[in-house]
Amino acid sequence: MSNFTFKGGLVLENPFPAKEIDLIRIPLPDRVVLPMQQRIGDQAKPCVSVGDHVLTGQVIATIDDDRCAPVHASISGTVVAIDNQVMAHQSGLEALCVTIESDGEDEWMDNSVACTENYDFCTPDTIYNKIRLSGIVGMGGAGFPTHTKVQFAEGCHTLIVNATECEPGIMCDDALMQAYPTKVIRGVEVLLHICGAEKAIIAIEDDKKESIELLRKFCKNERITIEAIPTKYTSGAEKILVKSLLGIEIPSGGYASDVGVLCQNVGTLVAIFDAVVENRPLISRVVTITGSAIKEPKNLQVRLGASYDYVLSFADIEQGENDIRMAGMMMGVDLEGTNYSISKNTNCIFVNKPIEKPSAQECIRCGMCNTVCPVELLPQQLYWYSKSSNIEKALDYNLLDCIECGCCSHVCPSNIPLVDYYQFAKALNKQQTKEKEQTDNARERFEFREFRLERNKQERAEMMEAKKKALKEKMAKDKAQKIAIAAAQERVNAAKTAKESEDAR
Amino acid sequence: MLDAVSILSILALALGLVLGYAAIRYKVEGNPLVDQIDAILPQTQCGQCDFPGCRPYAEAIASGEAEINQCPPGGQDGVDALAELLDVETLTLNAEHGETKPKRIAVVDEKVCIGCTLCIQACPVDAFVGSSKVMTQVIVSECTGCDLCLPVCPVDCIDMVEVKPTINTFVPNVLELANV
Ligand code: SF4
Ligand code: SF4
Ligand code: SF4
Ligand code: SF4
Repeated sequence: MSNFTFKGGLVLENPFPAKEIDLIRIPLPDRVVLPMQQRIGDQAKPCVSVGDHVLTGQVIATIDDDRCAPVHASISGTVVAIDNQVMAHQSGLEALCVTIESDGEDEWMDNSVACTENYDFCTPDTIYNKIRLSGIVGMGGAGFPTHTKVQFAEGCHTLIVNATECEPGIMCDDALMQAYPTKVIRGVEVLLHICGAEKAIIAIEDDKKESIELLRKFCKNERITIEAIPTKYTSGAEKILVKSLLGIEIPSGGYASDVGVLCQNVGTLVAIFDAVVENRPLISRVVTITGSAIKEPKNLQVRLGASYDYVLSFADIEQGENDIRMAGMMMGVDLEGTNYSISKNTNCIFVNKPIEKPSAQECIRCGMCNTVCPVELLPQQLYWYSKSSNIEKALDYNLLDCIECGCCSHVCPSNIPLVDYYQFAKALNKQQTKEKEQTDNARERFEFREFRLERNKQERAEMMEAKKKALKEKMAKDKAQKIAIAAAQERVNAAKTAKESEDAR
Repeated sequence: MLDAVSILSILALALGLVLGYAAIRYKVEGNPLVDQIDAILPQTQCGQCDFPGCRPYAEAIASGEAEINQCPPGGQDGVDALAELLDVETLTLNAEHGETKPKRIAVVDEKVCIGCTLCIQACPVDAFVGSSKVMTQVIVSECTGCDLCLPVCPVDCIDMVEVKPTINTFVPNVLELANV
């Protein structure tokens, strides 16, 4: 058996370890702001209006695209606004959100029709639909809709449960496992029941001793194994995890489902348990609050849509101007201020004392980035091509396989924000591909229209021609007839005259 | 009556085939340089270059009848790309033909539209749906933003709306990165 490790990556300590990993449930927020734009697909369409009273767990926005997930009210109360709000995103752009003001009751919609503990009697289809309608997306941070991922993995042989924690500093998976070990195991069993895999592996980094012990204690199912894997950053990246656990390489551009593996984050499994067994859609998540300006890092169970300010009011923050960063220190995004709300994929908020960012220097071609890349790409080459917007070349160097883990930026002695360049190149590639599609389409439509106009013209000409010919023929026929009649007339006349003259004689 | 219909449809079909064949034939024998130039042009089909569409302009460039700097939607980048393809000195975009504007699409005010279908006839890429006396709509994904439908509308109910970036289409500014 392998030792579950991989080439590249970084051994990083948790910069701000917590004395105690507790899951703290914070009181209901007064208001929530729920975004309609999720990770993939178009914006969901609100199906409530301003002034409507909604219950906790009620669907407030739907989407036609079956691959995407609906949005649910995370508290009961009144819809007070449906408008654009700034998103916690590097662009700082706005997107449509529904704002609900709490009535303080947390009154749930009817959730009596769950599959309950006896989900064995539910068909996989029923459970699949339950997951789809419960708005569950990957809770690890990527936020890909879970039902779509399950569908892609049809016929898979192994279910991998990612409990590695995406990045040093984030503790929400650990907190969740310690709080709900049985829910995790039951969630795995539900997913095993519907995805058809023979076995499941729960992968946990070996520094989370309590979680490993607890899960081993509660797991009575021999189809499920719990593996401790070395604590090394990006062990949780899907490609890396599949390779280090099973020794299977996912081809460039491929996904775990291509090699018969379904990967799910441990938080997602708890959400599946809640949806299937208790009929509670996804309305809350665990958020880690940490950073250099936080006295004691905490893991909070938070209703979706709660404001950052509200959530941060439960942490001990040092006074003064602080920097806010959403998600991890490696892959996160620096944000301006705190005017945002918790979304399905907000796994962590860093509050850091401001530090001077070292300015970027020229690349000295040291090659350190190449050694740490866990996907074994050539970050230095990717950097050159991205910087010069040479997308074609960057694609040749497998730009799209980059998982944006930030190992390369982390070690770069010239402090080049390498990942930012890759993100730029990927976005540019997306834009160019779309533009190309559009121009090709416009060209085709223009040419077809020209062709159609030309055809119409010709058709009209042919028709005119045909009509003219028919008319001419008719005229000719008429004329011939006239001549014939005239001739007959003449004959008759002649006969008459002849008869008359005969008679006269 | 039935005869007339069938004769006409057969005629139409035959004609269509002939024309379709002609189009393919024409393509094969067409000047590959024209195709290459046409591939660079933005296909807005707006006619600002003084030709009735991108392909006619491409043909004019290929035969030396037109300069390479007459397409405002393509912008200076487009002119440079044409210069590189044709291996000639690049020119600055000729302002006489108009200025480069951000990508826009046409939006019809349904309340005002009288269903006259004039815009349908004007659109070079058939981006409108509708028929006589029913209000017309624009298929967003097909509209190239060429402005040709604006002047023909008798009740002025078409607006050109700028396409704003969304979270899904946002592209970070790489030049800003370089200054970090
Ligand atoms: S960000 Fe991309 S290129 Fe850099 S180390 Fe990670 S996978 Fe490799
Ligand atoms: S680590 Fe930085 S300086 Fe070294 S080769 Fe990579 S990009 Fe260049
Ligand atoms: S000016 Fe308009 S019609 Fe002429 S090439 Fe440019 S986009 Fe095409
Ligand atoms: S809808 Fe108007 S602006 Fe859009 S392509 Fe057609 S004519 Fe041009």
